[in-house]
Amino acid sequence: MTAFEPKIIALVCNWCAYTAADLAGTSRLSYPAHIRMIRMMCTGMIDSKYILKAFLDGADGVFVGGCHPGDCHYIDGNLKAKKRILGTGKILEQFGFEPERLRLRWIGASEGPEFQQNMTDFVTAIKTLGPGQTNNRMVL
Amino acid sequence: MIRYALVKNRSPVHAVKSVLEKMLSQKLVDAILAAARNPYSLLPMPTLFCDPGKMEGIDPLAPVAPFNAARQAAAVTKQPTGKRIALVLRPCEQRALIELVKLKQCSLENVILIGVECLGRLENQAYIQHASEVSDFTSVFYKNPDMQAEVTRACGVCEQFTPAGVDLTISLLGAPEGGVGITAETETGDTLITQLELAVADEPESRAAAVGKLLQGRIAARDALFKATVEKINHIEKFQELIATCLSCHSCRISCPVCYCKECVFITDIFAHPPETLLRRAMKRGAVKLPTDTTMFHLTRLAHMSHACVGCGHCSSVCPSNIPVADIFRTVAAQTQALFDYQPGRDISEPIPYLVFEEELSESSV
Repeated sequence: MTAFEPKIIALVCNWCAYTAADLAGTSRLSYPAHIRMIRMMCTGMIDSKYILKAFLDGADGVFVGGCHPGDCHYIDGNLKAKKRILGTGKILEQFGFEPERLRLRWIGASEGPEFQQNMTDFVTAIKTLGPGQTNNRMVL
Repeated sequence: MIRYALVKNRSPVHAVKSVLEKMLSQKLVDAILAAARNPYSLLPMPTLFCDPGKMEGIDPLAPVAPFNAARQAAAVTKQPTGKRIALVLRPCEQRALIELVKLKQCSLENVILIGVECLGRLENQAYIQHASEVSDFTSVFYKNPDMQAEVTRACGVCEQFTPAGVDLTISLLGAPEGGVGITAETETGDTLITQLELAVADEPESRAAAVGKLLQGRIAARDALFKATVEKINHIEKFQELIATCLSCHSCRISCPVCYCKECVFITDIFAHPPETLLRRAMKRGAVKLPTDTTMFHLTRLAHMSHACVGCGHCSSVCPSNIPVADIFRTVAAQTQALFDYQPGRDISEPIPYLVFEEELSESSV
């Protein structure tokens, strides 16, 4: 049996987590290739349906990377994200998705090593959890 | 201090009618929005009255509601008119209206809220059947506990049957034969009772017991429903089985009083997939069921609106595929509302959880 290679969607903020990913890259810090990154202008624009869609289409985990509170380029987008992700997690949980599959972390633009660490940790956590419930299942 | 006034007449329906007619004829209000039958339909529809002489078919106590009238109440209060309007609403309609006020869809300025204590509503067809067999079915319904057991599933598990935060309440529980109680919680309501020269009385002793008994039964039924529904949705496979016959007609969204977006994302081009998208999906998984995105639709609606679900049950009533949408919503909403300690319609000054953010929130709990 081949080892479980999770599919992970990372929704990252242009101003912090994405820049941190860029920094990790230029610093030659490697992280697992399971992450498919999607750049957003702000975590505040992440509607719950983006997360739901990822999970229903077979993602094993969704990572959201935003700015530290107080650092949001749009004042309070990250705090909006926090509330919304809390609510979305509560919905997912009731339909059998483990809450650990959705993770929000604050990663500043200068935190390349932290970005690497967060990605490695999340991939490890998802590998431990195993495949998600929509994996290879027909979702209507 | 709650003031209780007793109005007696031939039947509760006539008692309520007499009070509302008096409100208009004494010009205490300029208009009244209340459910009323018209010559063309047995089913009472929300009707805006200005002439007390036209109130023949008025029956806000009728145990039926073709839809949640909060939308209609919002339609007459969304812009200031300078007129004083009384809205006669069921508790679930009034709670939804409070949510719509918070969402800036209407305003309660110059509005008098009259809540009806509600034992539940029947499905439209069941009501029409009964109403065509007996005259004054409403009075029959309140006297007959068997009839009251026929209410919709959502009503059978509703524990908020007594209006809260209204000016006047039309209270039926514990009221003596042929009468209704009118209670006032606010100053406006108090003034109205005085102006209408209603006979102030002590609250009947039987009232507290009747309310308590009904509440107890409803809570037990609600908890049983939650337990049964959790079993049906706690895995995506089971949930899909439950909603397998969804036509994607969006009736549940249209009937939902708090789903207020004028252009829902599900009717936009985002979900009007071109054929290539459908083929790509079919190729990826081997097969794709059409219409697509039904699971997505229900989960998204839960994520967007469940914190504001008032539990009126109209989503289930309108579903052509008999999907128990309301059961799912009530069960899931219980969790999302508990998460934010939020109860829709409880207090107009209580902000919607998604619209307030606190700086000290850390990411760690997610």
